[in-house]
Amino acid sequence: MKNTMKNIAALFLIFVFSGSVVNAQGWTVPASAKKKQNPYEATSKNISSGKKIYNIQCKSCHGDPTMANMLPLAPVAPTDLGAQNFLIQSDGEIFYKVNKGQGAMPAFEKTISDEDKWMVIAFLRSFDKNKKVKQQVAEVKNPEVTDVKLELNVNEADKTMLAKLSGVTKKGKRVGLQGIEMSFLVKRSFGYLDVSGEDPYTNESGDVQIQFPKDLPGDREGQVNMLVKVTDDAFYGNLEEKRVVTLGVPTDPVNPLDERAMWGTRANAPIWIIVTFVGGVLAIWSVIFLVLFQMIKLPKLAKSKD
Amino acid sequence: MNDLPKQKETNLSFEKIKKDILHPMQNHKGLELWIVFLITVISVCGWAYYIQLKDGLGVTGMRDYVSWGLYIANFVFFVAVSLVGMLISSILGLLRIDWITPISRIAEIIAVAFVAVAGLVIVLDMGRPDRVLNVMIHGRFQSPILWDVTVITTYLTVSALLLILPMIPDLAICKKELTKASPIMKKLYNILSLGYINTPAQHKHLHKMIRTLMVLIVPIGLAIHTVTSWLFAATLRNGWDTTIFGPYFVAGAFVAGSAALIIAMYFFRVNYKLQDYITDLQFDKMGKLLVAVCLVYLYFNLNEFLVPGYKMKTGDDIHLKELFYGNWAIMFWASQLLGNIIPIILLVNKKFRKPLPIMIISLFVLAGAWFKRYVIVIPTMLHPHLPIQNVPENFVHYYPSAIEISVTVLSFALVLLIITVLSKIFPVVPIVETAESKGIEVKIEA
Repeated sequence: MKNTMKNIAALFLIFVFSGSVVNAQGWTVPASAKKKQNPYEATSKNISSGKKIYNIQCKSCHGDPTMANMLPLAPVAPTDLGAQNFLIQSDGEIFYKVNKGQGAMPAFEKTISDEDKWMVIAFLRSFDKNKKVKQQVAEVKNPEVTDVKLELNVNEADKTMLAKLSGVTKKGKRVGLQGIEMSFLVKRSFGYLDVSGEDPYTNESGDVQIQFPKDLPGDREGQVNMLVKVTDDAFYGNLEEKRVVTLGVPTDPVNPLDERAMWGTRANAPIWIIVTFVGGVLAIWSVIFLVLFQMIKLPKLAKSKD
Repeated sequence: MNDLPKQKETNLSFEKIKKDILHPMQNHKGLELWIVFLITVISVCGWAYYIQLKDGLGVTGMRDYVSWGLYIANFVFFVAVSLVGMLISSILGLLRIDWITPISRIAEIIAVAFVAVAGLVIVLDMGRPDRVLNVMIHGRFQSPILWDVTVITTYLTVSALLLILPMIPDLAICKKELTKASPIMKKLYNILSLGYINTPAQHKHLHKMIRTLMVLIVPIGLAIHTVTSWLFAATLRNGWDTTIFGPYFVAGAFVAGSAALIIAMYFFRVNYKLQDYITDLQFDKMGKLLVAVCLVYLYFNLNEFLVPGYKMKTGDDIHLKELFYGNWAIMFWASQLLGNIIPIILLVNKKFRKPLPIMIISLFVLAGAWFKRYVIVIPTMLHPHLPIQNVPENFVHYYPSAIEISVTVLSFALVLLIITVLSKIFPVVPIVETAESKGIEVKIEA
């Protein structure tokens, strides 16, 4: 009996184990899921936002697409997502795999929105050599330059910002750098808000102009902390410009601790609770002191009535 | 209380009452030994507290989950027991119930001792007791902690006054009669008796003060235990988040206090040979009172556990299942059955209300009351709402450490020491009131 149990257990283990091995080799995707098409167009904007999401969510394991610098995990290393043998899959297949995950690949079904996932797929598709309508991430056709500079001009009247990216060529001439994506970020309470807009690529003279949102709250004077940078460090290193600009809507900050409330500091206790507490303490203790005072009278009463 | 109707004939004279009650204060064999024992216990456990003070609260079993452990459960218990002073000498006293006369002082002594040490227990629970005054300096009016500190201080003051004021005539007798007392004690009697010689004016004046305090202590007594319950009920935690916690604690306090009083009555009756004063009648009446308050407490327990147990809403269900048939079931059911239900069943029989049986039953009730507080405080703390992962093993269990148990023993020894000392220097049964209630003429010489 015991042996039978052991055999069954062993068989069961083998079964489960072989199952997982099979799973590791083939990653079956339902036919219906395969058919899905990316509903978002491969515009430079979408590709660019897909790249940003990729850098945050995927890059730590998969490395840069086509660079094969993925994390060397065992037994199965992450795939180079820019490799052609990966990109032969349909959009729907990739989408399904990102959603469900397998083994060390986490399921992103709940952690990344569908839109963001499609953006990533659009970004990955930009590396696809077989794709007929191929739109690369804005290609850089700039001369080799040194001393790259980022200049920022702020127009407070119409709330626009002009960034100029330039470098010095070998001939010693300062030229604008074209087609570089810039990020315009506003510091908020918990991180940066991207206000770059639809098309934050430098034009042929190295300029990019963005419209600052008209309704973004600033501090009491309407000041906000701007961070303008070249989105991709790969081109010219970490190039950024920090500045305090007066483009926000002047706003008096509301601190919940400023109002009288149960959660407030002692100075901001609700009036009724102060009155109740202090009133109660005063009432009770005045009676106690009255009694203590009356005690002094007791010895005198002995003499007066005797 | 000379306005009471003259009572039945008695063979006691004023001289005999004085002699009977004052005698044990001067001659009491074995008392020194008892005090030495208590001081030894306090010293040994004081060393445990020194370790806690030196190394911090990490030496206790308390961790991030259970940050209110044995100390706070013990604190709630002490506050509960101290409420007997308000029940006996104030509520029953104002109702002019005469059988409480010989035991009212014991009740006040218990109240003063327990509430004084209850305040101290909070300080013992602090990692930085040197910062205790910050509660007063920086305390927020919104915080039940500030109310608790305030109301305990007030209750201690009024209880001490209610111990001393009705004792003034007796102290005048002590001053005259206790010729062998030490000079310090004579001085104490002299000061505290406030020149009382029982003139009608003094009598009237004194009883007016006492009645004022008796009325005053009712709201304070209710407040002290209601506020203690709010320390718990003002949170959203399962098991504490209930609206009846205030009256529930007050009812439980009456149970614990009455049981403690019966035990103390028994020991004073036997050791001080006060059979003529703390009679079977007092035990019988206290037995009935204990049944009454136990029934009220049982009623609150039904509401506290049956109603949430019927609904079993999310969060509460884990807590209640732990209590009903989980890890806490033995402690929970033992405190309910041995500390409440079985005593009720036994004490409705007259023969169980005799001094010895009722004292033994009261020991169970008191122990049950202590464990009940433990069950109220700790299981709830073990179920935090935050879903934290990879919690260290010692967060999710709580076992009081040896240091914690020692410091708790210290608090009990301290209570017993205070009761011992107070009953050594003050007459435990009111001499003048007892004589007056028996219609015996009282004479206090200047």
